[in-house]
Amino acid sequence: MEKEGLGLEITELRLGLPGRDVAEKMMKKRAFTEMNMTSSGSNSDQCESGVVSSGGDVEKVNDSPAAKSQVVGWPPVCSYRRKNSCKEASTTKVGLGYVKVSMDGVPYLRKMDLGSSQGYDDLAFALDKLFGFRGIGVALKDGDNCEYVTIYEDKDGDWMLAGDVPWGMFIESCKRLRIMKRSDASGFGLQPRGVDE
Amino acid sequence: MNYFPDEVIEHVFDFVVSHKDRNSISLVCKSWYKIERCSRKEVFIGNCYAINPERLIGRFPCLKSLTLKGKPHFADFNLVPHEWGGFVLPWIEALARSRVGLEELRLKRMVVTDESLELLSRSFANFKSLVLVSCEGFTTDGLASIAANCRQLRELDLQENEIDDHRGQWLNCFPDSCTTLTSLNFACLKGETNVAALERLVARSPNLKSLKLNRAVPLDALARLMSCAPQLVDLGVGSYENEPDPESFAKLMTAIEKCISLRSLSGFLEVAPLCLPAFYPICQNLISLNLSYAAEIQGNHLIKLIQLCKRLQRLWILDSIGDKGLVVVADTCKELQELRVFPSDVHGEEDNNAAVTEVGLVAISAGCPKLHSILYFCKQMTNAALIAVAKNCPNFIRFRLCILEPHKPDHITSQSLDEGFGAIVQACKGLRRLSVSGLLTDQVFLYIGMYAEQLEMLSIAFAGDTDKGMLYVLNGCKKMRKLEIRDSPFGNAALLADVGRYETMRSLWMSSCEVTLGGCKRLAQNSPRLNVEIINENENNRMEQNEEDEREKVDKLYLYRTVVGTRKDAPPYVRIL
Repeated sequence: MEKEGLGLEITELRLGLPGRDVAEKMMKKRAFTEMNMTSSGSNSDQCESGVVSSGGDVEKVNDSPAAKSQVVGWPPVCSYRRKNSCKEASTTKVGLGYVKVSMDGVPYLRKMDLGSSQGYDDLAFALDKLFGFRGIGVALKDGDNCEYVTIYEDKDGDWMLAGDVPWGMFIESCKRLRIMKRSDASGFGLQPRGVDE
Repeated sequence: MNYFPDEVIEHVFDFVVSHKDRNSISLVCKSWYKIERCSRKEVFIGNCYAINPERLIGRFPCLKSLTLKGKPHFADFNLVPHEWGGFVLPWIEALARSRVGLEELRLKRMVVTDESLELLSRSFANFKSLVLVSCEGFTTDGLASIAANCRQLRELDLQENEIDDHRGQWLNCFPDSCTTLTSLNFACLKGETNVAALERLVARSPNLKSLKLNRAVPLDALARLMSCAPQLVDLGVGSYENEPDPESFAKLMTAIEKCISLRSLSGFLEVAPLCLPAFYPICQNLISLNLSYAAEIQGNHLIKLIQLCKRLQRLWILDSIGDKGLVVVADTCKELQELRVFPSDVHGEEDNNAAVTEVGLVAISAGCPKLHSILYFCKQMTNAALIAVAKNCPNFIRFRLCILEPHKPDHITSQSLDEGFGAIVQACKGLRRLSVSGLLTDQVFLYIGMYAEQLEMLSIAFAGDTDKGMLYVLNGCKKMRKLEIRDSPFGNAALLADVGRYETMRSLWMSSCEVTLGGCKRLAQNSPRLNVEIINENENNRMEQNEEDEREKVDKLYLYRTVVGTRKDAPPYVRIL
């Protein structure tokens, strides 16, 4: 059978003892998960730490328990079960921790840790970084002049304009964020800004 | 056989129920094919892309019940990106257009939209049963259409779906005239529930046998619901974080005691341990118990409950039960047929001493002679344990073992687990489904190929050394239907050794293996009845066709047999060769 062009050098027999290849396999896993990290944010969810976020220490075999668990889709527990048996998955506990952030026009969502921001300015900066887009920060600080509005879903399931309430109150009640085109916002049913409108 | 008129043969065929058997009889002769197809009421389609709705309806015009499966199994573990496919709308549209008298629709891993549900609810006057498992794409608005429009609805069963909960009043949409419900499961809904509407619905459904509530239904409501539905056979409770006050607790106990038909219990998403004793009175009747979402309950509380469940046949539990708890199960549940032990700590972050080991598995195998299905997540395993299990339980049909750490050897001998799994396949002659884990060489696949003659589904992860491993399986397991492999060193030589084989199987999944683009192209070249899909989410890697490197490894390969060629609804990152 013709073997040219099949790239069979990759499949050559290896005669090593079992277990020898652990380091090599760990490296492949790391490379794989890093690739996943750059292409799609939608595979991770609140509970699954399935993506390695560190830059690239690919040579070192990391034996810590945290690294072992950071392979996408491993252990093979279905995503519904992961989300619902995680202790943080309770609907009554919101706020601190990772929230989903969506932006109109971007086909995938991102996750960000609200707890790592110090205030609205910090949040604006972080959102800019997340989507590589200058305008969001402006939306948060000086809403009326920007193409986008930043809204969030609170504990009660209502969509609120970000920036009204004190920061502490905001992070306690924010469940997810959305960066929405101002033009789409008019019919959306936002709660009114304040008494003195 | 041809001496009988068609009506007589048709009557005989009514007794042939299983899909496999009906498929077989349709192959006997033209006349039987014709009679069978016109009398077939239930059709099962394991891969929605293997056939299209028009051909289905053409062959089975009298179809009443349809089961469809969409995404491959590994989609459960986030290995298949969003928008890959599995859309149900074209099926519902086609069925509606052809005026098929659809009564039952069962979907697994498909994308269902509110639009599809609305169309479904309006198109089939006799529609009775909707079962959605691991589906996504719809909201409670879609459920409202089903509730409002399906006048004959008996069953609405939502299992582990991703549903956007708009906190609308979908339960209110069941008309007052709706009294036919036998099964209602909305455990996966995350939002608030209109408890008053639910109570009214349950009160007017005297045939309700199965009721599974979501988190939001509080304890006192549960007591009232059970009081007006003492005929329940299957109950899924919600979430009870706080200790109940004595009065609520007493009411709950009274209500539960009356439910003498209760055989199956599930839910308990978050449960204060003191609520459990309310259920003690009915434990002796239970044949199925699912506590696998009850992360907050400690081992000893679980054990107290289980000790009362002497008739249990099916148990789903978390590993917080510990080996000690499994010994109790082994001593108590002599009728046990199916056991699933899930990891309570999915990320491996805690040093969890309470988790289960090979000790628990051996105890169960020794104590439960009727055990035939097991799913077991554990930290460690030994060959000796697996050999003992094989000896104790030669009747396994499904054996899925997941050792949490990839490549982990026998923790006592440090050897691979080839011999242990080898013992399992050799002893369990009826084994149909197997998942392997831990440190494994090509040798385990030699055993599987040699002994697992009835094996239909095999899941492989982080295992094997060379192409020989995969070849042993493909050559040996003649009944293989679904083979799914991840992170294992199998490449083109194995993939291409017997291309015709794949038409005898439903599908093959290979991700993070050694197959290359060139190999996949070669595979697809002479296989018009296979769809060879390459899933590549990384945009940077997608080059122009004349620049692409055939030696490049393929991230995810999913191939399946089909009689309708390339599908038209694939997203840009799926390339069908």
